[in-house]
Amino acid sequence: MIKVEEEVVETLKQTFTEYVVEAKVQREKRVTVVVKRERLVEIARFLRDNLQFDHIASVSGVDYPEKNEFMVVYHVWSIPKKVLVALKTSVPRDNPHLSSLISVWEGVNYFERETWEMFGIIFDGHPNLSRFLLPEDWDRGFPFRKDFKLRTKPE
Amino acid sequence: MSIMRVRWGPQHPVSGQWAFWLDVDGDIVVNMEPDIGYTHRGIEKVAENRTYIQNVPVVERTSVFDAGNIVFGYVQAVEELMGIEIPERAKYIRTIVGEMSRIVSHLYGLGLLAIAVGFETMLMWFINDRELFLDLFEMLTGARITYSFFIPGGVLHDLPQGFYDEAMRRLDYFERRLKDYWKMFFLNRTFITRTRGVGVLKREDAIRLGVVGPNLRASGVEADVRKDEPYAAYDQIDFIIPTEKEGDAYARGGVRFHELEQSVSIIRQALKKIPDGKIRVKVPITPTPPKGEAYSRVETARGEIGYYIISDGSNRPYRVKISAPSFRNLLAMPFLSRNVPMADIPTIYLSLDLIPLDVDR
Amino acid sequence: MMRKVEEWKEGRCRLFHFEIGKIQDWKPVKDLLNWARAWSLWSVHLCTGCCSPELMAVACSRFDAERFGTLPFPTLRECDLLFILGVVSEKMAKRVKITYEQMPEPKYVIALGDCAISGGLWWDSHNVVQGVDKIIPVDVYVPGCPPRPEAWIQGIRLLQKKIMEGR
Repeated sequence: MIKVEEEVVETLKQTFTEYVVEAKVQREKRVTVVVKRERLVEIARFLRDNLQFDHIASVSGVDYPEKNEFMVVYHVWSIPKKVLVALKTSVPRDNPHLSSLISVWEGVNYFERETWEMFGIIFDGHPNLSRFLLPEDWDRGFPFRKDFKLRTKPE
Repeated sequence: MSIMRVRWGPQHPVSGQWAFWLDVDGDIVVNMEPDIGYTHRGIEKVAENRTYIQNVPVVERTSVFDAGNIVFGYVQAVEELMGIEIPERAKYIRTIVGEMSRIVSHLYGLGLLAIAVGFETMLMWFINDRELFLDLFEMLTGARITYSFFIPGGVLHDLPQGFYDEAMRRLDYFERRLKDYWKMFFLNRTFITRTRGVGVLKREDAIRLGVVGPNLRASGVEADVRKDEPYAAYDQIDFIIPTEKEGDAYARGGVRFHELEQSVSIIRQALKKIPDGKIRVKVPITPTPPKGEAYSRVETARGEIGYYIISDGSNRPYRVKISAPSFRNLLAMPFLSRNVPMADIPTIYLSLDLIPLDVDR
Repeated sequence: MMRKVEEWKEGRCRLFHFEIGKIQDWKPVKDLLNWARAWSLWSVHLCTGCCSPELMAVACSRFDAERFGTLPFPTLRECDLLFILGVVSEKMAKRVKITYEQMPEPKYVIALGDCAISGGLWWDSHNVVQGVDKIIPVDVYVPGCPPRPEAWIQGIRLLQKKIMEGR
């Protein structure tokens, strides 16, 4: 059962030896790949064209203030293969720039816009990074970052 | 001709909790931009402040229209983090509740689609028959729509006495009603004329935009989490995934209708096959899963929902990402609303079954 | 036409068979007006949060709030009742205020659900107004998450009682 997943991991490791930090099979139908952000777009394009990962499932930002970095996780499902790959890459917290994957999967459009709004990660090449979920006059920073504190007592 | 910008919502009979910007040239919409965020409650941030069990009602509010399936994904992710295997009986009860929730949600969606094409009788029919299942929920869980019935480790209550007979009676009635729906609604000329060929989403576009659920299946892609990655008791139950080829509003409505039939059959089978035994395993009141992450997928009524939960070993999640189905379907809305008459916008919107609550989270 | 206005000004116009100028006791007239108001509460269709599925249940055939004269209506210029359907986010709060201000007098507000009353489940959220009464005045509060249709209808009845008592 786990053969397809291992094949994905092996192919990625062989093709992008230097740029794949870690690639493993998490469990059945789940593959985790940590890559360096310099070659993110090429790896994503390879996943789409050669490994049939065609259906974007989610884009999530994760804030790690101790490590001073953001993790951006692209979950992509493959309809023919029936495997979900988590494509992770880290971005420094003080200079959060990442190339947008909109040229690879068009479905990341709103996800990246949301991640920009909530974490302040700038996706270079994204056509429209503007206010989306928060009010138009929002000026209290990026709410999903760990240093944004919610109130601890009811008003 | 000059292009005019029209605002649609949030105070509008078919807009729901959001608004669109429509650039219109005469009656033809040339560009559409969603203006969302009117119900943004920051569920993902709030969830970081609560314990795993406290989070169950919080994530449920993502979309109360389909409360069963929405919580389903969350509890499965927590169980995966903690390495819990739930009892067989709980799996069946979850399947039953999940399918009832799907029926309720589809009836609501179809009712709104009916009123979008100006068919108020069908709205009354759908919403009234929805009450059949809301009563069953009340019998089983004690609440009509927000029941927070699933908890990590199993379900809250066992099936009450007389539930089997009552459910079977209602399903028999509902199956007769389904035939009426088909005759009255799906064979109705008004409905066919208003929806055939409206908002055609081709197979490649649907995959490219990341559309999920009935909207994807209406475009001819056979993708359903219940078959691709069976959870709960779906691997022991016999059902098919309805698909259509056309990808228009009528096909999307049709897929939902056929899913209603399948759900009835799934509930029947599950009620017959349900084994005896415990309904939950013991889980501490504040669970502390070990460090790690889990991504769980569940097929809700509007499509696949993904929960990405990262645990740092404490009793609160480090990050909860909800990849909600309507948010993923939202990208299809501006794509389909180009060069269509303005009168088709409600049909496209409600045939995609977008729920702003789900989009904003 | 002008003559009619003049008659009104001088108090010579007739309401039913009374001359308005001769009315000593205004209470029955006010009662009549309040009675009429209470039984035709048309509500604005403005969904703010997750109580909207119950709006359908209330408006449709099983619970049918139209029995009590409450009809969800698209045009707010002809409405006199505003349901706050659950959570009010900060973005929505401005729209709620605009909607309320555009409604003609007399106007009434029913806050439905815990979130609309006090923030409810979202007491610590960064984007939720902690109680809609901070933005607009509220006449009746209906608790529940979401309130059952029966509770909803009870809220409408309470408002009718309030109107008929002239408060």
